[in-house]
Amino acid sequence: MRFLCMLLALVCLACERSQDAQPEAFQVGLLTPGSIRDAGWNQSAYEGLLRVREELGAEIAHQVTRTPQQVEEGFRDLAARGFELVFGHGFEFQDAAAKVGREYPDTVFITTSGSTVRPNVSPIVFELEQATYVLGYVGASISRRARLAAVGGVKVPSVASTFMAFEAGARAARSTVRVSVSYIGSWTDVSAAREATLAAIAEGVDVLIHNLNEAAHGFFQAVRESEGVLAFGANRNQNALAPEHVLASATIDIPQALLLVAREVESGSFQPRSIRFGLRDGVIQIEWNEGLLARVPADVKREADALVTRIKEGALEVPRAGF
Amino acid sequence: MDAGTLALLLSLLRLTTPLCIAAMGELVAERAGVLNIGIEGMMLVGALVAFAVGVSTGSGLLAVLGGISAGAALAALFAAFVLWRGADPIVCGAALNLFALGATGTFYRVLFPPELAHATAPQPGALVFVVLTGLLVLGVGLFLARTRLGLALRAVGERADAAHAQGVRVLRIRWAATLFGGACAGLAGATLVLWIADTFVEGMTSGRGFIALALVLFGGYRPLRIVAGALLFGAASALQFRLQARGLEIPYGLLLMTPYLLTLAVLALFASRVRPPADLARPFRPRV
Repeated sequence: MRFLCMLLALVCLACERSQDAQPEAFQVGLLTPGSIRDAGWNQSAYEGLLRVREELGAEIAHQVTRTPQQVEEGFRDLAARGFELVFGHGFEFQDAAAKVGREYPDTVFITTSGSTVRPNVSPIVFELEQATYVLGYVGASISRRARLAAVGGVKVPSVASTFMAFEAGARAARSTVRVSVSYIGSWTDVSAAREATLAAIAEGVDVLIHNLNEAAHGFFQAVRESEGVLAFGANRNQNALAPEHVLASATIDIPQALLLVAREVESGSFQPRSIRFGLRDGVIQIEWNEGLLARVPADVKREADALVTRIKEGALEVPRAGF
Repeated sequence: MDAGTLALLLSLLRLTTPLCIAAMGELVAERAGVLNIGIEGMMLVGALVAFAVGVSTGSGLLAVLGGISAGAALAALFAAFVLWRGADPIVCGAALNLFALGATGTFYRVLFPPELAHATAPQPGALVFVVLTGLLVLGVGLFLARTRLGLALRAVGERADAAHAQGVRVLRIRWAATLFGGACAGLAGATLVLWIADTFVEGMTSGRGFIALALVLFGGYRPLRIVAGALLFGAASALQFRLQARGLEIPYGLLLMTPYLLTLAVLALFASRVRPPADLARPFRPRV
């Protein structure tokens, strides 16, 4: 009976994996830390994987890996099956990539964040801070109460860094602005995200940004039910999730980034390094909600555009946490 | 009442209600001697089914019924293993939780593939769920304390052999109590997608089933104390979000921990005299 129970559990864990691969073709794998139905970080990576299949004719495989053990197993599984390229989608994948990378020198491991570089391991660094800085600037300029807030999942360096830039941008516009940062301690607790967002609004905040995965739905639900509150989306274009409230989204064109790297690996021109993508490469963008642009004074919009230009030219260095 | 206090009160209700519902179900099951640690999984399945039914029919009532049935169905599976086949309830409950996490994730991706637009569930309104929870607590309290059947159920949990000797149908009562517990867990899950949030997310229960489990034990198996514990937990959670939003220089980990620590500390003060039902988690094999 115990055996049956355990068997049942194993079958279900196995359901978490979906894969289709044959030898010969260029094989590209992806591990995501969460569901690809988050309308954000993970979903974008999966779309990137589909794009690699479409443009390069690659065979693809995807797995959700929620624990360090699953990450290592996932990397090892794909590398052992002869995959040329495996993406680990997040900062938390770099240790496992370095470890498994030593065992499988013929596979290239790319983590989408981090700093670990080995002969066959490289991080992509998305400079989302460049966009959140500009949004912080806009937010502080239009906040009636000079009260901004950021709601995050877990305080990992990549998330804390986007909030740091948001706050720096806000201060650059208005030195008296107050920016509070809350974390809910989870990536999936929609309810906690909603409560944290409503709590910030009850404290007088009227402009908010987030960096949450699936739990972001709770953030947008809270924003939708709060009159006079404006918000920014993060990681992908989330303007449609609360069209009356989301002024703009700081987006990462993750599909484009994954495709650029996959092209390098396929052609053999790949060099191990920190692969940086920012506003200049078009991988990071600020996507405005055209329907709400009237809420932004023309001079604020002009200043924001000028900031974007200066960042692209390298004239303005946006602060980011070293990680 | 000013807007800030009202917001805090609503937040408290949202954080407390699902815990109360799940805990009432678990209370009845445990008083009958069935330790069901699978309520987290039953909540999750209840949430997904409520969401799927709600999105496809647009009816809040059908969604609630769907969630309740799904929780009860999973409880029937649990009961089949534990009551009928005499399997270890801890192992089965743990397996059930893993099963629910994997299965809801898979089914969610099949039913709502990423290409599909984001869907939201119907929202019957806070009042429905608050009133329902009040009635549930009242009903369970009166049932356990004031009815013959409640007495029989408690006897089954305390001394199954003795109850059996008195002509009480032990297994039948345990089956019913387990199904009721599963139905409540399913309802708690439905509450998550129909009120607390408006969509389904994989793993969205985030340990609420386990908190309900702990509340039953530390609440000394008494309905009102369990509700008090849940309210304390909800209040501390709501307050810590406000404190974070106020921008206090306290590490957020500490603030997130407060509800757990506080609830544990307060309930532990009363817990020294808590005695679980004597036949809890013991298989019953009638000697005919």
